[in-house]
Amino acid sequence: MIELRDLALAAPDGRLLLEGLELAVPRGGRVLVTGASGSGKSRLLKVIAGTERPVRGQVTVAGRAVWPGDGALALIGHLCLGLAFAGGGLLSNLSLRENVALPLRFLGLPAADLAARADGALDRLGLLAVACLRPHALSASARRHGNLARVLALDPALILLDDPLEGLDSEDRAAAQEVIRDWLQDPEKTLLLAQEEPGPFQDPPWIRFAMPFPLPPEVP
Amino acid sequence: MTFLARLGAPVRGFLEFLGDQVHLVLRTLRYGLLLRLGQVPLVATQTRLQVRFTGLQALVLVSGTALLLGAVTLIQAFSQLSGLGAENYIGVLMVLIILRELGPLLTAILVIGRSATAIAAELGAMQLNGEVDALAIHGVNPYQYLLLPRWLGVLVSVFALVVFFDGAALAGGFLVAKLKYGVTFGFFMDSVRQTLSNRDFAATLLKVFLFSGAITFHACHFGLGIRRSQTEIPQAVTRTVVTALVAVFLLDGVIAALFYF
Repeated sequence: MIELRDLALAAPDGRLLLEGLELAVPRGGRVLVTGASGSGKSRLLKVIAGTERPVRGQVTVAGRAVWPGDGALALIGHLCLGLAFAGGGLLSNLSLRENVALPLRFLGLPAADLAARADGALDRLGLLAVACLRPHALSASARRHGNLARVLALDPALILLDDPLEGLDSEDRAAAQEVIRDWLQDPEKTLLLAQEEPGPFQDPPWIRFAMPFPLPPEVP
Repeated sequence: MTFLARLGAPVRGFLEFLGDQVHLVLRTLRYGLLLRLGQVPLVATQTRLQVRFTGLQALVLVSGTALLLGAVTLIQAFSQLSGLGAENYIGVLMVLIILRELGPLLTAILVIGRSATAIAAELGAMQLNGEVDALAIHGVNPYQYLLLPRWLGVLVSVFALVVFFDGAALAGGFLVAKLKYGVTFGFFMDSVRQTLSNRDFAATLLKVFLFSGAITFHACHFGLGIRRSQTEIPQAVTRTVVTALVAVFLLDGVIAALFYF
């Protein structure tokens, strides 16, 4: 499903975060990326998703060249992909329900299916009561869950999760964990989880990858 | 070598900018053609929103400006040409000054001030918030959802605003002609009609098409180019205004040369 060849990532200030990464993830594989804050976990997910260009190397997802190539555009219409962002990512001019439903609308789903899937995902994460609100009116944890709900409603084959439990209270954390555990039990889903620590997800046979400790930026 | 590199940097930057504009236009056209039937209502909704903001909400401003411009043009013309049979030149003045040149040009300037700035700022904020990335990742093509509706919306709006601008300017001109010389509506319109040619309509349509493209894609280029911080947004807006104005003036000159030189 995912093939990384000689991948090199750099921080926005040009510091090299990672070099020569070789990784092959089969369909249905699970990858746990761990590393300290600022080590480039989110960047790695975005490179795989095709929205960040690597410094060097090749990224192939579902047999399609993402880098070098058109990035995320290369996957549209060929692979259903979901990324739960650590922050942001929800369209600020749409309500939470519209945000969750937008990718489904673009897929051309019938209105009844669309509403059922969007509301089902929101309900499972306890967001139905705030579904009419826009992201600025939501709490940080609701925005984070909103990202997860969008992925849940889309039901993608490849799921990328960027620190999905960070900053959640125990109730929200339990709801998110339940959703992630269901994905982990589904052999059709390929899952890539980035967290500082492995946390509660120790059980499945993960392909583990620890990001190198980031070097501090050079002081001019 | 450093001197040569420094000398060539602006040229290289300009060529990169041109290349990026062509890239944006071609990709938007390509993905516009690849739009599936089920996606059309979504794009149509976004286009309607853009038309409402760029066209409908600017209607009073554009019509008011045009009404005053039409009236002032004829007041100034009559003050200089009084005694030389100025009423005989009403049509020539209105067509040459307003319909051919100032109509499309001033409409484009107003749209740059109102809408190109808004598009650049909105796309910049979306880019910073990861919204554009989220769209692409979740299968919503940003060219189809963001760029195409903005282009279509600005195109429809600029066309409608030019029509309203010309209509209001003619109305302003007619009011002055009637009050000053007692010119009848029939005489006024005949005078305009005799000067107006099919070439003027073709030139105006070409201007509408090219101006709206230049306005939209300049705004999209600078808006989507924002990567790091909020402080880049005002810079992108300023660059959008300056370069879009230059582009519109250049295009206006090229079209004038092609059609009337």
